[in-house]
Amino acid sequence: MTVWGALAGGLLGTVVLTSGLRACSELHLTRMDIPFLLGSAFFTDRTRAKAVGYLLHFAFGLLFALAYYALFRAIGDASWWLGVLFGLAHALFAGTTLISVLLPAIHPRMGTATTAADASPLLEPPGFLLINYGASTPVVTLVVHLVYGGIVGEFVALSG
Amino acid sequence: MRLAPDLPRRSSQAPIREYGAIGDGRTVALIASDGSIDWLCLPNLDSPSVLGGLLDHRRGGRFQLAPEIAFRAQRRYLPNTNVLETTFDTDRGRVRVTDAMTLPRAGLAPQRELVRRVEAISGDVPMRWRVEPRFGYGARPCRIGTRAGVPVASAGADALAVRAWNAGSIVCGPEAIGGEFVASTSRALLVLSASHAEPLVFPARDEVEARLDSTIDFWRTWAGNRSYDGPWRDAVIRSALALKLLVHAPSGAIAAAATSSLPETLGGERNWDYRYSWPRDSAFTLDAFLALGCSPEADAYFSWLLHASQLTHPRLQVLYRLDGGTRAPERELPLAGYRESRPVRVGNAAAPQLQLDVYGELLQTVHRYAMSGGRLDRETGRRLGEIADEVCRLWRLPDAGIWEVRAEPAHFTQSKLMCWVALERAAELAQEGKLPAGHAHLWKATAEKIREFVDSRCWSPERGSYVRAPGTRELDASLLFTALMGFRPGDEARVDATINAVREELSHGALLYRYRDEDGLPGREGCFVACSFWLVEALARRGRHEEAATLIDELLPLANDLGLYSEEIDPDTGEFLGNFPQGLVHLALISAAATLADVPAP
Repeated sequence: MTVWGALAGGLLGTVVLTSGLRACSELHLTRMDIPFLLGSAFFTDRTRAKAVGYLLHFAFGLLFALAYYALFRAIGDASWWLGVLFGLAHALFAGTTLISVLLPAIHPRMGTATTAADASPLLEPPGFLLINYGASTPVVTLVVHLVYGGIVGEFVALSG
Repeated sequence: MRLAPDLPRRSSQAPIREYGAIGDGRTVALIASDGSIDWLCLPNLDSPSVLGGLLDHRRGGRFQLAPEIAFRAQRRYLPNTNVLETTFDTDRGRVRVTDAMTLPRAGLAPQRELVRRVEAISGDVPMRWRVEPRFGYGARPCRIGTRAGVPVASAGADALAVRAWNAGSIVCGPEAIGGEFVASTSRALLVLSASHAEPLVFPARDEVEARLDSTIDFWRTWAGNRSYDGPWRDAVIRSALALKLLVHAPSGAIAAAATSSLPETLGGERNWDYRYSWPRDSAFTLDAFLALGCSPEADAYFSWLLHASQLTHPRLQVLYRLDGGTRAPERELPLAGYRESRPVRVGNAAAPQLQLDVYGELLQTVHRYAMSGGRLDRETGRRLGEIADEVCRLWRLPDAGIWEVRAEPAHFTQSKLMCWVALERAAELAQEGKLPAGHAHLWKATAEKIREFVDSRCWSPERGSYVRAPGTRELDASLLFTALMGFRPGDEARVDATINAVREELSHGALLYRYRDEDGLPGREGCFVACSFWLVEALARRGRHEEAATLIDELLPLANDLGLYSEEIDPDTGEFLGNFPQGLVHLALISAAATLADVPAP
């Protein structure tokens, strides 16, 4: 188990997660667009927001991989299926708290139940389990995070 | 609170003539004179409709906004813009509704935004509005709910939000979002914010107002920069603005029309999807853009045409998707159709047809582009040379012709003529050093063979005219291309005779039928408006300035009150038929008016 294994897994896992979400969007399964959600917290220009959003998303992908690594170290074992289990917890956290509650709370342009709508342009909030972005979004989110977790777990295990 | 019912309407769908068009370079909305938006595809013009009442008044969806009481409507475009203004006169006062699809400015704007501004001019007028979104041509289940207090309708990767200010309490039902209010001193604003594969943006009022103002400014600046100064400027500028609506901004492609399946015969089956780009229109498109000083649009269109045709090189497909793709599978939708005209089709089965004339139109376009200063790089020149070689191989084949007939392929005169144009222009470009000259002798020799074929087989001594195809007596308005393309330079007696014969046989008042014989489909269509403007141009090119000017003066009042044309007009009733607004008509209008302005009266 090495940090480098976790970072490599985090990088590849984030690539797969981002591409998977994009593919699901093209397949009309979801309107979830994490780079746009993240980047639009800082920029109103769509192109710039998405570019910065991708960078932020990769940074978060690496940070979460380091958190997985810490958990693997704590329990003294790492494998793809443990990673999948972490991915499950990660998806539940993202769907119930991280993106659905915390992001709207800190995002300057995202609506909440208490926002006065005239204040500024508002982004549609994701809702519980991100369901506002399409009925299939919870499933899509779960699947891509399971894959992410599996990749990080396998890379950490393979890194010795 | 209960959702207000549908506003009453004289019939299921408004006459095509009563629609106006607004757009943003990505999609177009059609608004009837009774304030109902009956056509809007999202996110792009060739995407499935979300408001499709035009093709099925029960299942299609629409966005109604009108006085609750009896009214008379008058409308106009704000001068030199694609922003529509409808004034409703009622017994209780007057209300003005301004409709636009806004263009994004700096800042976080919705992906697509449709704005309806309501201002009372006098009195207190009770108004009612109702949005019935029906995603996927009415086939996809739609969920309506609220997010942060904003009504949202969604289906899969598509969603739209309704924002309303001073427009009454918003009521969300399972199938519609609506409200009622009294238009008096305060200005009301209704906004559709649409999104595809992204979270929705809920815009703020001041930003919407600013975008609306800047959109009006943009259109005025764009129209003001057009360079036509002839006597038909108003019609030409309106046509240019209509064409700009049909330009797909990301690629530069021009859609043939904004709609699908508006019928060429009411109640009939001649219903086609025109939300594709036809290279056939290219020569007219480039001419129009160059004549009006639209250099960026001309460059973008030329670049798109070369890029799209690369996918099928050296063959040219009859039509391409607006993004340059080649697949356009045709299917029928389970919709009632415009006034029961079925089937409703999307996609276009003409795509894989062999239509030889497109090669002539492409090389004519290249010729005009290059001769007006456009640059052709070596690779492009090589590819165009290969296309000319392909014409040498193909010209003897029967084809579906310019009218895309679905009967057996035939040897259409206009197809052969355009093969002659292709090879003549290729040879001229080679002579100018813009195309490789290696095969120029073959192109020239084949062009001469085609000219002989047209003069010997397609000329009818009996009729004193070129005819639709060898061995027939039929005439066809596409024979006017002999004049438009400069066939038989220096010896135009046959061209003049053909113009006269076509005019005599196919005219109905100022309008022309395409042809009068069978085309493989049941039913009778109206007069094809573009042909009438081709006749104007043909007359002007042959020095018959007065006749041409008289004819164009008769044709311009046949447009609707906003200056827009559909593909066809019923010559007896004046009713519009076919897809709307149709680019080819407006291209032909600009080309005719520009030719008339360029050719001095004798």
